[in-house]
Amino acid sequence: MLQAIFTGFFGLAAIWFAVVVFRTSSMVRSALALLFSQAAIGGMFLAMQTEFLGVLQIMMMATEMAIMAIFMVMYMMDPGGLGGMDMTHQKRASQVAGALGALAALAVAFLTGWGPIAGEVRPAEQVYGLGIEIMERSMLIFETAGVTILTAMIAATAIAIKRRGSK
Amino acid sequence: MISGARQARPNFFRRLVAWAQARELAAFVVSGPEAARAIGVDLEAAGLRASHTPRHASVLVLVGELPPGLKRATAVAYAQMPRPRAILAVGVGDVSLLPKPDVAVGPGQEDVAAGAAELRRLFARSAFSPEASDFDVDAIRTQTEYVCPMHPEVVRSEPGSCPICGMDLVPRGAAGVNNLGAADDAGDGTHHGSMDHGSHEQHDAQDEDHGSHGDTGHGEGEHPTAAHDDREEGWDEGREVADHGHSEHDGHGQGGVSHGEHDHAEHQHTDEGDADAHPDGHGDSEHGAHGEHEGHEHTDHGGHDHGGHEHMDHGDMGFMSMVEMTENLPRSSDGLQMEWVEDVPFGPLFPGLPGGLTLTVTLDGDTVAGAEAEGIEGRASAKDLGGLAETLADRLARLDPLSPIAYRVLALRALESAAGVEPDERMVFARVGALEKERAASHLGWLSLFGRLIGYQWLEDRAGSFQLALVRAASIDEVARLWVEAGRLSRRVEKTPLLRRKLRGVGLLPEEAEPLGPVARAAGVGRDARADEEIYQSLGFESVIREGDDALSRLRVRLTEIEQSLDLVQKAGEMTIPERTLNGVPLREGSATVETPRGAATLHLTPERGALKDLELDEPSARHLGLVGVVAEQQELADVLVGVASLDLSPWGVAR
Amino acid sequence: MNAVLAILMLLTGAYLVAVLEDWASTGRLRLAGPITSGLALLGRESIVPRQPDRIFFEVAPPLLLVAALLAAAVLPLSPNLIVADLATGALFVNAALAYVMVALLMAGWGPDGAYAMVGGFRFLGQLIAYSMLIVMPITAVAMRAESLFTTEVVESQAALPNAIYQPVGFVAFFVAAMAVAFLPPLDLPTAPGELAGGVMAEYTGWRLAVMRLARAVLVVTLAAAVSVFYLGGWLGPVLPPWAWSAIKTLLVAATMLLAGRYVPRLRETHVLEWGWKIGIPLALLNIFYVGVLLLVV
Repeated sequence: MLQAIFTGFFGLAAIWFAVVVFRTSSMVRSALALLFSQAAIGGMFLAMQTEFLGVLQIMMMATEMAIMAIFMVMYMMDPGGLGGMDMTHQKRASQVAGALGALAALAVAFLTGWGPIAGEVRPAEQVYGLGIEIMERSMLIFETAGVTILTAMIAATAIAIKRRGSK
Repeated sequence: MISGARQARPNFFRRLVAWAQARELAAFVVSGPEAARAIGVDLEAAGLRASHTPRHASVLVLVGELPPGLKRATAVAYAQMPRPRAILAVGVGDVSLLPKPDVAVGPGQEDVAAGAAELRRLFARSAFSPEASDFDVDAIRTQTEYVCPMHPEVVRSEPGSCPICGMDLVPRGAAGVNNLGAADDAGDGTHHGSMDHGSHEQHDAQDEDHGSHGDTGHGEGEHPTAAHDDREEGWDEGREVADHGHSEHDGHGQGGVSHGEHDHAEHQHTDEGDADAHPDGHGDSEHGAHGEHEGHEHTDHGGHDHGGHEHMDHGDMGFMSMVEMTENLPRSSDGLQMEWVEDVPFGPLFPGLPGGLTLTVTLDGDTVAGAEAEGIEGRASAKDLGGLAETLADRLARLDPLSPIAYRVLALRALESAAGVEPDERMVFARVGALEKERAASHLGWLSLFGRLIGYQWLEDRAGSFQLALVRAASIDEVARLWVEAGRLSRRVEKTPLLRRKLRGVGLLPEEAEPLGPVARAAGVGRDARADEEIYQSLGFESVIREGDDALSRLRVRLTEIEQSLDLVQKAGEMTIPERTLNGVPLREGSATVETPRGAATLHLTPERGALKDLELDEPSARHLGLVGVVAEQQELADVLVGVASLDLSPWGVAR
Repeated sequence: MNAVLAILMLLTGAYLVAVLEDWASTGRLRLAGPITSGLALLGRESIVPRQPDRIFFEVAPPLLLVAALLAAAVLPLSPNLIVADLATGALFVNAALAYVMVALLMAGWGPDGAYAMVGGFRFLGQLIAYSMLIVMPITAVAMRAESLFTTEVVESQAALPNAIYQPVGFVAFFVAAMAVAFLPPLDLPTAPGELAGGVMAEYTGWRLAVMRLARAVLVVTLAAAVSVFYLGGWLGPVLPPWAWSAIKTLLVAATMLLAGRYVPRLRETHVLEWGWKIGIPLALLNIFYVGVLLLVV
């Protein structure tokens, strides 16, 4: 019961912050609202007793969204939001897409056979289980993903550096 | 009652707090702790810890005379100190803009200690008082100007409409102040700024409160709010970060101009679909294309008025590519153009720079796109120095409190040259001794300031106490002891880890710059007025020359010069300048050059019927102030500050 | 009950760190210093800048405090004195410390002042330099402990503290910890000489008191993290476990505070260069090295 309450609370918080992302005109507020929205989702994970995922989500999103805040300030106009710019575009298309997406998500949630729910999985076992999963069945996936991301980072940095000798 | 008490009735808890505050006095010193040390006053020993910003200080300590420019800055700084606050005046005369000092003492250590104790008593008694009044001075009131959001050059003092585009003028201070956006990301590679797309109007009721005018959090008690509303940001002279120049938005781009590494995924309003709907004629510069948008009302862009604006559908804008928008902006050194944050003031009471120096900087992200340095406003000009010949030495000595003896000697030698009189040997030796002692003290003061700037706390403390010891040294034996200490200091500083990395290559000057003094000697150029003088040659003097022309070599030159100067003082045998009068001797033209701690200064006298009207005073700092721009260009902010500090500017010289 | 005790000890630790910091900068040991300065600050006027981003301005100090407290909550002082012994404790420390950066970003952006803003964004640059450096050594530590429980991490060092077992990781984590707590020489966001206080410049009165408290708690937390991960936490002969924890934590804190006095502040370019060019390869080597040690030795 308590779990349901907390999950619901975090879920609502996530939705509320997500709405704030688009309602505000200030870039930094938008980025940080997204951060807290993601952190609320991390809170949901914690409330649903998936501790590792929750902690991971909270940790990653903090750094990522802060970087995003920087980029938004960098590239978007009016980061202070004093100009009152509208953050939404293609309203009709996005409304339709949103509704369709929500229907699809609900369909997947309700119609899929998710299998039996584990009773009570202790967090230590979760961590262990995740580790085994990464190292056995999903090793190839994670390795390629990791190397790809590293390559992308290095490539991005290399492109950003001014070449010597050329303007 | 202290002048800056908080308005509240004292009760038990408040008395307890007042007692605590009396024990935690933090002093903001004008014009810098070096000024106090230069007159031999140790504020720490008197119980006043130095604070680097007025916001964290509770006592304003005034040391020495304040020229008008500094008075204004001090008033602003005082207004920014949170209450309860008090003023301690040390050897100061007129403090016109400020309230009357709570405690005024003469310039001696015991006096200052007694004054500090008195301050503590005052604080404990009356930090909270129901009769507190406010501090409201012209200097701290802001002026609202009205600017056109799209044409920043149009500035009026009354509301109206822009003559160029017809938009209503927006009060500055309301618009655009939050658009600071200058960010520093992964090192020097990428610099960013923000673009203020000033043409968008408000949304109805969309934004939450973006800030509040004149809102002050009140702690205990009530405050009259008048002065708070007008508190300036940043406790240095002038406005806070002003609006950045609104650039010309060079048209709106079409479609997806690929930026290579710039991922526009976050560009929420990138709208590929609608982009084609826009004709190419989104002209250049201002939004001439606004005619196409519906329901435009360019009204108040200030962040707080949301009433009744139509809402512009951003979807019509099309894709705005950064490349096109920033096409005409000046480029920074890495090729990324962005909007600049102009006129960021660093000074005149900035902790890392000499007190009184105003450095105005244009920030381009974390890089400095341009910088300008100015001395103290309202300081003496050459005309003010004219007058009777007898008092010339005194007048010149008051000119620059950072090196009064050097200027006194300059005046005396110029007078002697004009009178055709030669000083006797004892006088010459005494002058050498005094001059060198001051040189060492000045370099030590600089060293302490420099240590504070680069975050080297040990150096700041050590050089400060060394300077104090030297200023107070009364005999040649003490100087001898200090000479040994100077050697140790020099070696210890050289061995500091990471110091070389911090300073090497910072503050480079171009070839054409012709600096003077230690700055020149650090570039391998042996410019030293002392090298030609017989007396110095007889004492075995050799200029200290280093290669490198960066902050590190300047540091090394000054460290070595400290040792050398103390050695010379010992050899000279005397430290005080004897009096000399030249009454009655007819004066012809004369000139003299003296190597002040900052470089060679030359004084040229042209007496007219016994009085000196026209003086030509050529000083090193005047020349070095002009070098600030080239030192600072396209450097990172911290490096700029280090470079400027390494020039050892004196903001006091003669105004031009 | 134990949780309460742990929190009390944490606050005591923060108090002592404040005393230490004062001592490191002035050379005088004033045991009642934090109390008087806290009281003094509470009685001072709170000034709010003219056009702040109000939410950020207000939230930043409490967020900094909360982040530091959360990180401290999973660090054990003794096998029983821990607020929350999470199964992902070692990772949680890092998650909580990430919000230090969020708080400083808010503190930089909120007051609408040039110095604060430059300070806030400099800290973000610093974050990019240290963020890998603070996670990778934890990975190596967790490898040895074969668990993310902080209590098990300490117990795994019964034979040999990690500082000797993985010295490279120790140095990297120590430096990264100083970077998180923005202690000199890595105090780029609050550079007193260059930015007149930076992110802390615009705070006065009780908000400043909260910021300073948060900073002290942060230093204690990081010192505790260093001692838990690398110095063996509560392990040691003769004295009770919590005493060892306290001693080690305070020693680490004192070292961190003193080190900055004798070194000038690093340039931002260098922080980033060394963090990435030297720090990350070393951290990777450390992981490799620990892996080899664990599997082979």
